Amino acid sequence: MLFAKPLGDLISQLEKLPGIGPKSAQRLAFYLVRQPEDDVRMLSESLVRAKQALRFCERCQNMSELALCSICSDAKRDQTTICVVAEPRDVAAVERINEYHGTYHVLHGLMSPMDGIGPENLKVRELLARLGGEMAEVIVATNPTIEGDATALYLAKLLKPTGVKVTRLAYGMPVGGELDYADSATLHSALEYRREL
Amino acid sequence: MSLQRLWLSNYRNFEGQEWLPSTGVNLVVGANAQGKTNLLEAVALLSSGRILRSVKDDSAAIRLGEDAAEVLGEIRGPGTELKVVLRRGQRRRAFLNSVGMAKTSDLLGRLPTVVFSNSDLAIVREDAGERRRFLDLELSQMYPVYLRHLSMYKRALEQRNALLKQVNHQRVEDASFEIWEAQLGEHGKAMREYRHRFCGELLVKASRIHDELGSEVLDLAYEEADFGDLTEALASGRAREIHRGTTQVGPHRDDLSISVNGKLARNYGSQGQQRTAALSLKLATIELIQDTLGEPPVILLDDVLSELDMHRREHLLSFVLHTQTQTILTCTEANQAGSEVQKDATIFSVRAGNVEPA
Repeated sequence: MLFAKPLGDLISQLEKLPGIGPKSAQRLAFYLVRQPEDDVRMLSESLVRAKQALRFCERCQNMSELALCSICSDAKRDQTTICVVAEPRDVAAVERINEYHGTYHVLHGLMSPMDGIGPENLKVRELLARLGGEMAEVIVATNPTIEGDATALYLAKLLKPTGVKVTRLAYGMPVGGELDYADSATLHSALEYRREL
Repeated sequence: MSLQRLWLSNYRNFEGQEWLPSTGVNLVVGANAQGKTNLLEAVALLSSGRILRSVKDDSAAIRLGEDAAEVLGEIRGPGTELKVVLRRGQRRRAFLNSVGMAKTSDLLGRLPTVVFSNSDLAIVREDAGERRRFLDLELSQMYPVYLRHLSMYKRALEQRNALLKQVNHQRVEDASFEIWEAQLGEHGKAMREYRHRFCGELLVKASRIHDELGSEVLDLAYEEADFGDLTEALASGRAREIHRGTTQVGPHRDDLSISVNGKLARNYGSQGQQRTAALSLKLATIELIQDTLGEPPVILLDDVLSELDMHRREHLLSFVLHTQTQTILTCTEANQAGSEVQKDATIFSVRAGNVEPA
């Protein structure tokens, strides 16, 4: 046997994590077993606590501790604007810029028949349910990939009849990027969607 | 555009090899299985991100007993360095001036090449897939936007086909089809515009060259697999396609018909007519790339001289000399290239994975 059984078990658990290969799993396992017991206990407890305490916000479907997440329950946020994203990490990305003051809606994926994902597997019904009343704008912020575009198109078709304004993020050059290193598709869309100075 | 320096590390039978080709004609001479084609293939890899001789995975292109291979090329002119790294069991990676590129196909257009090999005949003789592959490769290296449409189209096609197969065991709403069909329609329409224009421009040049080669009339016509608006054709074909599980309309079903003296070369052409047609297409492509990009592509000739009769061989060689572009020509004997080329060319010999000036 290559490793003592408890170590082998830990390695095979770590290997199941996304982005972790056999070598990284070994390195993490060796690191962990060398740490003080208290630190390891804290890690394992926070894993279990996160799993037990988290649920989907009943409005925006982001990960939340309470029935309503901190953004949905914040009276200072503009509750008439929804930014639709694929994953919880995309909420974090938009929040980091500190300029968007509306709410979010997390789809938890993008449409992809190849992976068996259709609208029924995404939080689309929950989004539609939010539209009654005075919703001013839905900003679709899915990735500019074929699946992101298809999902955006699907949402646009679905939401248009409700009369709400539906917008999509712009395509263009990364700020501070160099023209020479931009991939041609980015440069082409930046050229296509240029604006007058 | 030309290749100034090539560095191979554990690529096929090359352990560590630097090669400094001239900007003119490079005659690479060696017996079979010494590495001539490997050298030429490495240049094509930098040009397209693809390996010429189809391999199941990259392991076949990595030197025996090594984990990784590297091909690096310095391009004359803008001071650009292209690199491709192959690693067993991993995705092939491309780099531009040491910065990783998102996809290896992003290399296309940095070092345009036109490759002549014995498999060119397939463009005329085999099924439509070969002709589409030819169109896609040449258009991609001239127009990065074409490449973008092509890869988006292919992905949307896979998604729609997956949806067609789902219908057999679950209900799928029309709106789910419509979003993929809208994208296929948009990218497919753009692809067809590029292909029509390319075939039209190619015809002007190829028919002239074909006439010079053998006084016969070459004709090209781009043929679409369906009529009218593609998005609508996709929608109306849905019911029929559910049984097959594949999409039957769109540019991935189109063909380029090639005829000689009014007869379809694929079915009715003699081997000689087919070979001449393939040669005309490739030579016309060189001129077209030169017109479009303002510079001729690098010409790669993989052991093609022995397959051609004297007349076609002389025509090809005088075309190459006349184009005055960097050319890499492999052959088993230097005298196959004729005295005129030998006089101008820089000659290298390849033996057991070593290239040196002859």
